Formats: sequence, C-alpha cells, structure tokens
Amino acid sequence: MSNAEYRNTITDLLGDSPATASLVAAATRSFPSETESLGFRNNADYLGVSTLVAQGYVDAAEQFLEPIATNQSFLSCTPTAGAEIDCARTFIESFGKRVFRRPLSADESAQYAAIFQKSLTAYDFGSAVRATAFAFLQSPKFLYRVEFGAAPSASSVRPTPYEMANRLSYLFWQSMPDQSLFDAAENNQLSTSAQIEAQARRMLQSPKASRLLEYFDEWLGTDTLPTTFTRDATLYPNLDANLVPMFQQETRAFVTSVLARPEGNLSDLFTAPYTFANADLAKHYGLLGPTGSDFVRVDAPGRAGVLTQGMMLARDKATRTSIVRRGLKIRLDMLCQLVPAPPPDVNLTLETTNTSNLTQRQRLEQHRTVKSCAACHDLMDPVGVVFEGFDAVGRPRTTDEQGGAVDTSSVIERTTDANGPASSPAQLGALLAQSEQVRSCYVTKSFRFFYGRDTDPADACSLAQLSKSFKGKAYSLSELLIALTQTDAFLYLPVRSSESP
Amino acid sequence: MSKRLSRRTLLRGAAGLGIGLPLLEAMMPRSASGATPTAPRRIMFVFQANGDQTKRRFIDTGETSFTFDEFLAPLEPYRKDLLLLNRLDRRYGKFQPNERADGHQQGGASLAPWKSGEGAFPIGGADKTIGYVTGPSADHEIGDRVLKDNLGVSTRHLVFRVNTKENNIWNVSSHAGPVGQQSPVNPETDPYNAYTSLFAGDAKDDPAALAALAKRIAMKQSALDNAIGEIGSLRAKLGAADQQRLDQHTQALRDIERTLNATTGGAACAPMPFATPKLNVFDDEKHVELGQLFFKVSAWAFACDHTRSINFNWSGNTSNRVYKNLGMTEGHHDISHVSDEEAFGKIRVIHKHLWEQSVTLHELLKATPDGPGGTLWDNTLVVHWNELGQGDVHSENDALVVLAGGAGGHFKMGRLLDFQNKATFADMLVSCFHYMGFEDVMSFGDPLLNSGGPLANLKA
Repeated sequence: MSNAEYRNTITDLLGDSPATASLVAAATRSFPSETESLGFRNNADYLGVSTLVAQGYVDAAEQFLEPIATNQSFLSCTPTAGAEIDCARTFIESFGKRVFRRPLSADESAQYAAIFQKSLTAYDFGSAVRATAFAFLQSPKFLYRVEFGAAPSASSVRPTPYEMANRLSYLFWQSMPDQSLFDAAENNQLSTSAQIEAQARRMLQSPKASRLLEYFDEWLGTDTLPTTFTRDATLYPNLDANLVPMFQQETRAFVTSVLARPEGNLSDLFTAPYTFANADLAKHYGLLGPTGSDFVRVDAPGRAGVLTQGMMLARDKATRTSIVRRGLKIRLDMLCQLVPAPPPDVNLTLETTNTSNLTQRQRLEQHRTVKSCAACHDLMDPVGVVFEGFDAVGRPRTTDEQGGAVDTSSVIERTTDANGPASSPAQLGALLAQSEQVRSCYVTKSFRFFYGRDTDPADACSLAQLSKSFKGKAYSLSELLIALTQTDAFLYLPVRSSESP
Repeated sequence: MSKRLSRRTLLRGAAGLGIGLPLLEAMMPRSASGATPTAPRRIMFVFQANGDQTKRRFIDTGETSFTFDEFLAPLEPYRKDLLLLNRLDRRYGKFQPNERADGHQQGGASLAPWKSGEGAFPIGGADKTIGYVTGPSADHEIGDRVLKDNLGVSTRHLVFRVNTKENNIWNVSSHAGPVGQQSPVNPETDPYNAYTSLFAGDAKDDPAALAALAKRIAMKQSALDNAIGEIGSLRAKLGAADQQRLDQHTQALRDIERTLNATTGGAACAPMPFATPKLNVFDDEKHVELGQLFFKVSAWAFACDHTRSINFNWSGNTSNRVYKNLGMTEGHHDISHVSDEEAFGKIRVIHKHLWEQSVTLHELLKATPDGPGGTLWDNTLVVHWNELGQGDVHSENDALVVLAGGAGGHFKMGRLLDFQNKATFADMLVSCFHYMGFEDVMSFGDPLLNSGGPLANLKA
C-alpha cells in the first residue's frame, strides 16, 4: 500500500471521523515518502516494505489498538471466564474480514485464535484482543493486495468478487471496500461489466471520491511543492505566507469542478479561462470577485486551466521564472516525452547572474547555438517562453525581473500533433487540448496511477480500449475513470500471478 | 554474561543534549569470547551535494605539506587524522547511455557503483526511461557483512538525510540490492524517530515499566512471527519479482526483531532523550540543528554498538536548499550551474559552511569514550563525499573523498594523495571494505568501474 492508501484504509477501518483522521495523521506522520517512479508514488514495483517502512507499520499500529478494542462493531460480546475464546472468535471473524478485505478461511481464523489464546494465557482478555488486532495489522494480507483470482475459465482468470471489490475501492477511494461493496461481493454481484459500472458510478458520487484527487496532486506535482516559498524578498516583497497551500487548494477546487460535471473534459483542464480562488489568492493574482475564505470560481481572462495555476508557475527559481522548468513540465507530464541527460562534462551555464543585459530568453537562445545543448533545450525552451507573461509566483506581468519587456512569441515543435505558433499559455493550451499525443499521455498517466503500476506490452489492448472510450465520451475526465473499470486489465488478471502492496 | 548498566541512570542530570558518555567496562562491546573488551571498527559516510570548485580545494598539494584553500579550511585541525583522496574517477562514461543516469543521479549513487535500470524517470536515459541503480550500496553491504559476523549488532545500517521529503532518483544514496534489482533505501529524515527506534525501547528503571515493556515486546514478537510465517506461505504462490519483494519484507521484519531483542537482552543503553520542542524536519532553515541531532544519534548508535555502518546525507543530491543563514537567496543547485566567479564564491561559502558542520561530527566522536581508554574517533572511519567533482560542469571524475578518523590505525593518515583520475571511486569503496575487515572484497560494483583491488598506498 502507498502511504495514502494505508491512511485511508485505517481511517475507514476505524470509522471515518475527525478524531480518527487526526489520530491516523499523527500516527503515520513519519512514514517515509514512497519511492517515486514515472511521476507517481504508488507503483507497486517500487513499494517494497523496507525496514523503515515496516518499523512505521509497527509503531503506527500500536496507536490504533485502543479504538479497535473499544469498537462495538468489532467486539460486541462480553467474555465469560474460561470461555473467552468464544467472544474472541466473533472479533476475529468481524475484524479480520475488514482487515483482509475478504472473509477469513477456517485456517486463518484458527491461526489468529492461537495468537489470542497465547496472549490470554500470559495476560488478560483486553490485552489478548489488542495483541490479535496488532498481528492483523502487520499481516502481509492486510499490507498487500494479493490477488489469486477465481478458478480460471477456458482462457482467462477473473478476480474473485472480493478482489474486484478491492480493485474498485482502491481505484476510486484509495481505500478498503465499504459495506455496500462487501455485500455485493458476498452476493456475487460484481461479475458483469454492468454491475461493475453501476458500482463505479455510485462510488464516484461518494464524498470518498475526493481521495482520487491524489492522482492530480501527483501528476501535476502540487503535492511536492515546498511548504514555504524561498523567493527573494526584495524581488517579491510582501508575499502571502500561505501562497503554497492556496495554490494547492486552487488546483484541487478547479479539478473537482471539472470532474463534477459529466462533460468536464481534458480541454477544460488546459484552456479554462477561469480558476478558483479565495479572497487572498484573488488579491494576489489581481482578480476580482472572491471575498471570503472559500475557494470559488472566478473569471480569469488570459489564464488557461491548470497551465496558469499557481502550482504550475511556481516551479521557478528564487529570483526569476524558469523557462526550462516550465517547458520541461509540459514535455514530461502533458506530452509524455523523454528528455535525455545532458552530455557529461559540458558547461551547463545558462546565464550569468548579472554581467549580461540579455533576457533569460535571449540567453537561452544563445545557449542553444551549442549543438549538444540544443538537442534538449529545443524541446523545453520554446514551450517555456510562452509562460513568460506570468512571474515566478503566478501573477501576470509585462516586464521581466530586469525590467525588460517580455517576449512570449514562440513556435512549438517536436510534438506529434501539437506543433504550431503560440504566444501565450492559452494558445499552448489550445494546441494541447486537441492533440492525440496529449490525450494518449493523459490515458497512460491515468492507467499508471489508478492501476498502481506501469503499462507493459500486454496492456496494449486495454490502453486502446481506454483511448476509444475517452474519445467516445468527448474526453470527459469522469467518464475516463468509469472506463478504467471496463478494461481487460481491470476485469481480468494477467496470466502471471500478481500482487500489489 | 556480565550485567549491563542503564545509560539513562548514568546520564541522569547531564545537561540538555550533552553526550558525555561515561566509560564503563560493562557498557563496552565485547569480542565474541566475552573475555577482553575490544573496540569494533565503524564506518560513517557523510554526503554533501552539487560538486565544488576543484581548483580551489588546495593551495599546496604536497603529500604531507598540503595546505587547504578556503572552503576546506575547517578541516585543518584534523589534518593528522585525514587521508585526502583527490581526483578519483567514477568512470560512468564506460556505461552505455541507457545504463547511466545524469551526473547528479548517477553520481548520487556513487556508493552503489552499478548500472542504472529502467522504468522510474523520464529524464536521464538516452532513448528510454532511466531507473535506480541495480545493486546495493557499500553502507548496506558492509552492514550486512557485520550482521553476519556479529550476533550482538542489531542494525544493519542507518541511513539519514537532512530535509528533503521526497524519495527519488535525485536524492537517494543508499540501495539494498541484490545485484540486478532496483531497491533504493529511503532514508530516515526524522532524528527523533531514529532516536525512538533505537533507544526508546530500552530498559526502564522501575519494575512496572519493565513489565509493560516486556508485554509490548511479546505482542510485537508474536505479530512479527505471524507475518513472517504468512509471507512464507504467500511466497510459494507468487512469481519471482513478487518473491523478491516479499524477501525484502521478511528481511525488514527480521531487522525489527533484532532491534526488539537488542533493547531487552540486557544491552541497556539509553541515552538522554532529545530536548523539546520538536523541529520541523523538512525546514531547510533547521538543517544545522537537524544534522547535529543525527550526529548525536549516530554517535550513540556506535557507542552502544547498535550498528557499525551509517550513511548520513546533509541533503539529497541536486539539493536546491536556499542557505538563508549564509545570506543566499538562490538555491544551491541553481547556483552550482553557473560558472562565473560570483557563483563560485557562493559555492565556496556553502561548502565551507557544510564542512564546518561536518567537523562537529569529528568533535562528537572524539568526545565519546570507546574501547580501553579511547574514543569513537579512534575506531571510526568517516568518509566525506559528494556526487560530483566540479559542480558547474557536472564532472564525474575529479572526485574528492576525505577519509577522517583514527580508523583503528588501518590507514596512514595525514596525507593528500592525487590519483589523477587513474583510480576510481569504487576502488575507494573496496578500501573501505578492507578497513572493516572484509579483505576478500577485491571489487565492488560493476567491473567497469573498478580497477580490481583497493586504492594503492593507503594503508599504514
């Protein structure tokens, strides 16, 4: 499990409440951040349980024993002396089913009853319940999503009903199944595509679906912004101390609104001439409208969806914008392109700090006259310059840090079908919004995050299914989430056995 | 078995974070026979980022007459216990373009001198994505060998990093392997956590607390046994890649078991808790204080013989920390990309600052008793390193490695050796294995990065 999945799962296990949320947050605060791969932190191939992670699970679980042992839905009986095991068995059945996210086998029940019995002999009933709960929370059957599938039919293996319930719940909620999914699994109502789609639509409407915003946080990188800005106070005086959290809120509110409308689509992400802001953020941007602390929709002429939101424009340097980083973000995460490493031992100086009167754009142009530099900078720089009309903290501007007029005119090249002139983020957004390369990239990113793994050659059909559905639903973001539950990759197990922590 | 004393009792009344560990025979590590107290050898890697300015390292480069230039000047008081290894090559150019990441990434994995894999990052490779390195790092391998040889040592290695929350190809320097597998070891970034994991389970003084502790340990032991058993049953039903991951999980659980046992088996060794309030561990402006706390945990962990291998990092590689304490407004990595004198001036200031902090570790080791009449400094090798040689051009050669400490008399210290890029960083790691007593190691990492043996002319 990723850290987010662990937190959500424990929260739902204990019963979602503000008290649970703060307990879980405190108990998991020192979990090490997961190993990153291809922009995400939930790729099962990189989520091994190292010593530090295992220690985190041990330390955290101790914090959860009290709420578990006092939860009536797990432990409703009163033990009688000499027959404590009877009461313990009901606990093991009910709690174990939640933790393993499926009913326990007879062997498993006996195994945990033995743990209970051993602790009871040494201590008392309450201690033994806690020791049993603790063992459940260290179990690989809790910490991993292990799938063996139902008995294979002629040529394919389908997940068992409980495995399918888990696939659905971890896709939409990044967490364990709810009672409705448990019931559906129990009654074998998760076998047809229509049954699965109906569940998916129900789940997408649940408040818990807000947890899938984790995808946008990781894809767009809003979660890895520094908690405070390190902007030069002389060049950027009087910045609001909460700028970074506000940028994060802005993007979450915006994405939520796009997802909430069935027709909200990829084009909206890259072209929307509006954003979401509270009074403080609107003031920072120079926008009119919002007056309170809530983030509300506000018209923002000249802006272009996520491309001009603060989180995107804030990946700059302390004293200036970074054309290179802005361009790099578009190439890697919107176009899914590769950028090779600079050759060894070249002079990487992009600019001198104060001896030149050239603008950053002009210095980069000079830099690209060197062939080895041009190979990559031709990718990044022409994309990055279209953002020069926004400063390093996301405000519109007409002059750069040195007071020179900004020049945003550019021609986008080296894409499959997003080439063309662009002189603003809005024009770049329009190119991206109609590009098959961008659409395909978005599908691939969604596949990686929501399935928690990279694509492999066997997924070609599933990716094609997704692209076809995406197009058929006019690139609706919420419909793509539904489509993710209808692919071969989701409905079947690969031939090899699979396991995902 | 001799009774061991609680360090908490002995340190009661010591002020604040002081580490005046008293030397008592009962607290000293023992040789396997239990007869004569011996001081084991320890190794600690200390990393700082972004390369330096090679021509400003030394003014005089004579083997014994060397003089430090500006940013290395904080090392002067330790010169008789230093072995300065200048101009080592990393030889990553020997790898194919798709087998090596960029200078920061590959250089940041210098302790694990293996080819990079595929599949983790879109920047770095030639025409494919690049991955993490595909083999273990020296801190992990040395720790592993120590564990196999010393039943009393509980912790394979400790991996610490100051600040930097994310774990990616730009900031992870420790790798678990095995060879052929990407398995980065994400570091502990919280010194309070490190302290608690190592010491908080140590014996209390009153019987009730001891009984409660024993009960918790019994609960944990039972759960770990259960989990290990379950992993064993699952393992048989899974494919090779999943099996490797489960093996890593099993090893992690065994690591925790050893720590549990170490803190109850009479090896009571409980230093003073940290002063409160707790610092924000991701606040760059607290990097000095956080580094000091990690150094204290390190010294305690060595003194109590919890581990003999530590990998400490002042930051991730490619660190873009803004050194506001030095009057900087731009990030370290951003500055390091600029080749003018003004930028190099700032780089020298940053490096001097980090060296000033790093030598406080030397002081701490010198102040911590260890072995008969000695200190940790006598029995420790500190290996100071960086992911790059010259920062602005990202050179993979011209590496400077500073070996510091008494190191059990293994090396002939007090010298500057210029290898002229004819020997490698991996050769240096082989020398570290030899120092730790593993003289069978003649190559570490990919053969292309090794000359075949330790560095020449290092030993006493």
